[in-house]
Amino acid sequence: MTITTPSAPPAARTFTVSGSGLSFFGVLRSEWIKLRTVRSTVWSYATVIVISLGLAALMSVSAGFDGSQIPAEQQTAIVTQAATFGVFFGQLVVAVLGVLAISGEYSTGMIRSSLTASPKRLPVLGAKAVVLFVSTFVVGLVSTVGSALVAAPILAGQGITAEVTDPDLLLPLLGGALYLALVSVFALGVGAILRTGAGGIAAALGILLLLPIAMVMIPADWVADVTPYLLSNAGLGIFGLNAFGPADFEVWQNITIVLGWVAVSLAGAVVLLKRRDA
Amino acid sequence: MIQAQSLTKRYGNKTAVDAVDFTVQPGRVTGFLGPNGAGKSTTMRMIVGLDRPGEGSVTVNGKQYREHKAPLREVGVLLDAKAIHTGRSAYNHLLAMAATHSIPASRVKQVIELTGLESVARKRVGGFSLGMGQRLGIAAALLGDPATLILDEPVNGLDPEGVQWVRHLVRHLASEGRTVLLSSHLMSEMAVTADHLIVLGRGRVIADAPVAELIGAANRNTVRVRTPYAPELAALFQAGDVTVTQTDADLLQIVGVSAADIGNQAARAGIALHELTPISASLEEAYMALTQNDVEYRTGGTPDDHAADHPVVEQPAADLQESAR
Repeated sequence: MTITTPSAPPAARTFTVSGSGLSFFGVLRSEWIKLRTVRSTVWSYATVIVISLGLAALMSVSAGFDGSQIPAEQQTAIVTQAATFGVFFGQLVVAVLGVLAISGEYSTGMIRSSLTASPKRLPVLGAKAVVLFVSTFVVGLVSTVGSALVAAPILAGQGITAEVTDPDLLLPLLGGALYLALVSVFALGVGAILRTGAGGIAAALGILLLLPIAMVMIPADWVADVTPYLLSNAGLGIFGLNAFGPADFEVWQNITIVLGWVAVSLAGAVVLLKRRDA
Repeated sequence: MIQAQSLTKRYGNKTAVDAVDFTVQPGRVTGFLGPNGAGKSTTMRMIVGLDRPGEGSVTVNGKQYREHKAPLREVGVLLDAKAIHTGRSAYNHLLAMAATHSIPASRVKQVIELTGLESVARKRVGGFSLGMGQRLGIAAALLGDPATLILDEPVNGLDPEGVQWVRHLVRHLASEGRTVLLSSHLMSEMAVTADHLIVLGRGRVIADAPVAELIGAANRNTVRVRTPYAPELAALFQAGDVTVTQTDADLLQIVGVSAADIGNQAARAGIALHELTPISASLEEAYMALTQNDVEYRTGGTPDDHAADHPVVEQPAADLQESAR
């Protein structure tokens, strides 16, 4: 049964649309507002900084070196290590943050508001990635540089010093911040693919933390060739914190490997975000 | 104006929206009705590009939603009140939405005042009642001062004052020449709010007509007759387009003949009538009659429940089809 009747002609008055339109800059601002107005962001970033500063202080105090016995370049390496040691833990925190930046939108339904405001969808992911990268990089830099400032005077008391302008100190500080920023974007991609907080966090932390350990336990020759390419192994190599033996790659090679992980994660997110219903 | 052409959406084997065609005109309020699972929300989601149509297309003001340069200014949408991050304050939510289109903060304050959220705007949305969430959703829909409004169950969870406010709001917006499409389960609300109705059942358009006409159609000459000679009276109306249903030993429901005709014929046959009552259907009854065969999730309740209130409903399905045709 169907009743279909053309109705009377609509009101003569028509409403015209006016005002500013959608822009990537607007989406970028929107994502910045979103990131800074949830508590998990503030807590995560505060945790990254506090852990890093705390570990730097702890390592410096408990080291118990006698500086007179150590050559200058090794002294720099000790300061660098104290300053960047927190990144190892910080990567876990920013990975959780990266996943939550998008999974939180899926779990609350917010994603539907975001995608109706920006219906081409990819700008939302792009803006999230940019905002996460920049803020995590800044936070990472605050924590590595801050940690260096905490560690340096304590170590100086033990006769260990580093030149502030020494690239061997400054580049790892930058590298640690860069790695944290890249991990957060990698995790964003994982969160966008899996769309759940629990699944995304498990996957991201699994890749960062469990994969390198699990690989070591596999008794096969090819494993040794593959492990340097794992995300966290290459990532820690960026600032000289090699968990597994001597450095396998140059810094730029490690950065390239980490960028590869980020690219794969984001590519998966892009394809699925475009294809799936929200 | 919203135009859907053979719009189709399937989830696995299930066809949620089945080749629907409709046009929502500007300058009036169009109601979107249908039982749960009829495809209303899916259709609305397809209009704004959240769900991809399996086949067919839907355009808003001549373009697919995502092709518009200022989507939030073209269409304001309230899909469900929960499309908001619970950890953010209402003000910050609106501010973030507004930022995408460079809508100034002054407009955010405006819609907060308009929806009466001033006192809770700085509180986190997680603690909002259903009604406040609904108001916030409407505030978000109004942000871009849009030419088209799509509101899915806007009065759900609102108090009577809020229901009335939404009614006046949508009527006012339509009078400004905007396109307004709203769905509701409250038929009585639709009767006073909407000018035009599109009724969905099992993913198909089963009615697309002005409200008055829909009520009229369901109203078509249903007459309740009480007589001790029910079988004899029923025998008089066996021919033609008339449906007779015996609902009690002495009670008949006759569809397709006027009360006057029944009275005349009964007098001619010498049958005494104890009651002769034309029954006028409300919109709710009209809607129930229309969707009787298209209800996806039927409650298992007692069959007698509706006998008193909804005389049209208690007819067997076959008769219903007859009566509304």
